[in-house]
Amino acid sequence: MACARTKLIVGGLVMAGAVTYLAVAGVKSGWTYYLDVDAFLLNPACQAQRTRLHGEVSTDALDLRPGELFVRFDLLGRSGRVPVAYKGPIPDLFRPGRQVVVEGTLDAAGIFQADTLLTKCASKYMEDRAGPPEARTATPQ
Amino acid sequence: MTALVGNLSLGAAVLSVAAVLLACLAAARLDGRVCLLWARRGMVAIAAMLTISCAALLAALVSSDMRFAYVANETSHSLPTAYKIAAFWSGQEGSLLLWGWLVALMGAAATLGRRRLGAPGEAATIGTLAAVCGFFVALLVLAANPFRLTPGVIPSDGRGLNPMLQNPAMVAHPPLLFLGYAGFTVPFAIMLGGLVGRRSCAAWAAEMRRWALTAWLFLGSGIVVGAWWAYVELGWGGYWAWDPVENASLLPWLTGTALLHSSTIVTQQRGMFKGWTAALTAATFVLCIVGTYLTRSGVIDSVHAFGRSAVGAYFLAFLGVLVTVSLGVLVARRDLLRPRTRIENMLGREGMFLVAIVLLAAMAVATLIGTVFPLISGLFLSHPLTVGKGFYNTLVVPMGVVTVAVMALAPLLIYGRAAAGALGRGLIVPLAIAALVLAAGLALGLHNPMAMACLAVAVVGVSAMALSLAREVRSQGAQAGFGPILGTLRLIDANHRRYGGQLAHLGVLILVLGVAGSSLFSVNKTFTMHPGDSVRVGRYSLRLDQVRQVPADNYAAVEASLTLAAPDGYATTLTPQRRFYANAEDAANEVAIRTTWREDLYVVLAGWQDQGRTTAIQVFINPLTSWIWIGAILTAAAAVFCLLPRLMPRVRTGDATTPTSARSRCARALRPVNADWPGGLEEAAS
Repeated sequence: MACARTKLIVGGLVMAGAVTYLAVAGVKSGWTYYLDVDAFLLNPACQAQRTRLHGEVSTDALDLRPGELFVRFDLLGRSGRVPVAYKGPIPDLFRPGRQVVVEGTLDAAGIFQADTLLTKCASKYMEDRAGPPEARTATPQ
Repeated sequence: MTALVGNLSLGAAVLSVAAVLLACLAAARLDGRVCLLWARRGMVAIAAMLTISCAALLAALVSSDMRFAYVANETSHSLPTAYKIAAFWSGQEGSLLLWGWLVALMGAAATLGRRRLGAPGEAATIGTLAAVCGFFVALLVLAANPFRLTPGVIPSDGRGLNPMLQNPAMVAHPPLLFLGYAGFTVPFAIMLGGLVGRRSCAAWAAEMRRWALTAWLFLGSGIVVGAWWAYVELGWGGYWAWDPVENASLLPWLTGTALLHSSTIVTQQRGMFKGWTAALTAATFVLCIVGTYLTRSGVIDSVHAFGRSAVGAYFLAFLGVLVTVSLGVLVARRDLLRPRTRIENMLGREGMFLVAIVLLAAMAVATLIGTVFPLISGLFLSHPLTVGKGFYNTLVVPMGVVTVAVMALAPLLIYGRAAAGALGRGLIVPLAIAALVLAAGLALGLHNPMAMACLAVAVVGVSAMALSLAREVRSQGAQAGFGPILGTLRLIDANHRRYGGQLAHLGVLILVLGVAGSSLFSVNKTFTMHPGDSVRVGRYSLRLDQVRQVPADNYAAVEASLTLAAPDGYATTLTPQRRFYANAEDAANEVAIRTTWREDLYVVLAGWQDQGRTTAIQVFINPLTSWIWIGAILTAAAAVFCLLPRLMPRVRTGDATTPTSARSRCARALRPVNADWPGGLEEAAS
């Protein structure tokens, strides 16, 4: 019986170790800061790594080329702004004045090179409405 | 009139809940049977009152009665009737009413389904069901009244349904999920009642199993319909993004799957997994509520548009009560949950079940941690951290592969000391077949280790299943005197639980191959094209013919038409669209998909400028995607098969229809005799 128990404990430890290793690897591979524009500008540490930024699409300085899958815009915070360049399919809900989330890194020229652009939904659906799970999927990539 | 009926029925439901709770409390002190009879009638009253509320809301929606704020917010006059009905569950108030109504209906059915009045703990079971109904009714009355009138001037038309929701899946996906969520209330109530009333664990586990299986079937179907919907509607080429809302529905499915397995062992009177079963029943129900709290309170940022709303606080309070009550009952009754026997062999049936249950629970915990990571990290850091797909792909996916590998061994597992030897002997041929298949795969250029692991697991699983079935048919057919086909069918029909389980495993294996193929070998290319241009993607050639505007009834679309030439000589026109709905400022994608058993060709109109003279076309080649849907349908069919009674008549002479392999004889001999054996459910067949 003692032998079986030892085996069980060793097996459990091995499994726990494997899961911990995977968890650490997973968090390392996947984690990003999630900030608004103002916090991002105040935080040089975040500017050096991959970040998820949220803010409003500025109505000026917009260069939208959906046929070439390219857009260049300024992301507005309460006071600051960050220029963003994004290459990829532009979500249906993207337009000036909208709340969006971008994910990427700041390049040497001070332009935020985004590879992910997500739109938060239109104000119309932002009220006291939370639909059934998954019913309100916006474009997640 | 409708408002009066709606509000009155909600009020009457509140009174019914109070009456049931009083009757349940009184049952403990006064004459139990009379009080319980009234509690049962009260459950029916709650269900009846909420049915009237639902009918009132449905009438208002279908007749486009814009006096109601809900109707004006969710629908418009021009909306097709099917979507007017679907608007019932597109908003906060309606979806909560639907959920509460389903809890009441299932609660009443579960209560009346017990023929004998006054089983131990029945008052606690009915009380729990009524309390959950009470929570939803209170929420409807206090925070999310679907019969609230439009303030001020009544609008001439409503705001319409979000165009993304105007898809046939909208009719099926949310109700399926809510059937699952509501369904898991019943096992929870039966478990609490069983523990409070000190019934044997096998008795309450057997009673709640059918409900758990039904809820699991609905929840799983809802998740898959949602994934399919995201795939065909959203145009990003995938079906699962590890978004908080998706995770929220996956969490109770994972623990529910673990629950189905642990409760099997409990009902087979092995004296083990009682604590696991009770804890998983509670966890599954609590996770249904956790998911709803996370996604509706606004504490987690999702790409899904969830408003921050007042119901979050109510859900949090309810969650606190649920966790306290569950933990309290589990701790107070820990003497009932202590295992009577030890696991003899980790390579036996019980040992492997333990591994699978622990893995499923660990996957649920990992997914939950990933989902609430912004909240956890926000406690320690000035800026919250989020984890993306990488987290789930490195942590949850490997655990899932190991779980499926354990699952593949299922047909070879037996109880007891001889298990390791039996497993080893049974694995020789499946492993040999898998080695041959892998060698063939290597020769054909398959190098991805994850894909090879999935393929090996699937081959081992399918061949082990086929071999063990063939063995059982042989040993049984000799005595029964039926032909091989009829003999096999009779054998399968004689034990729905065993073979239903195997069929579900087969479905999961097919689904896993689909997921592996589509996630590991997906090709994604975007082309900037002008009319007349041709491109080659994989084995296909695509020519952009034109981009034009297409008018329709309630939307106008921009449509690209592309001529597709497939390698098998098949040629067709694909027409991906971007639709602009009349009532909405936003557009919706209409993806063109060509499905074959090998792969999906998935074409999206990604963007255009200069009136379509420059157009962006995004093309995905997603291998084996149709296997996902086929596997899921098979798994759902298997769950239905488990729930069905025996289909073919029993043969009178001898025990010809019972499986008489050495293994099943052995299992029956080992099964301890217990006076409390319920004998009613799936096992009755054998």
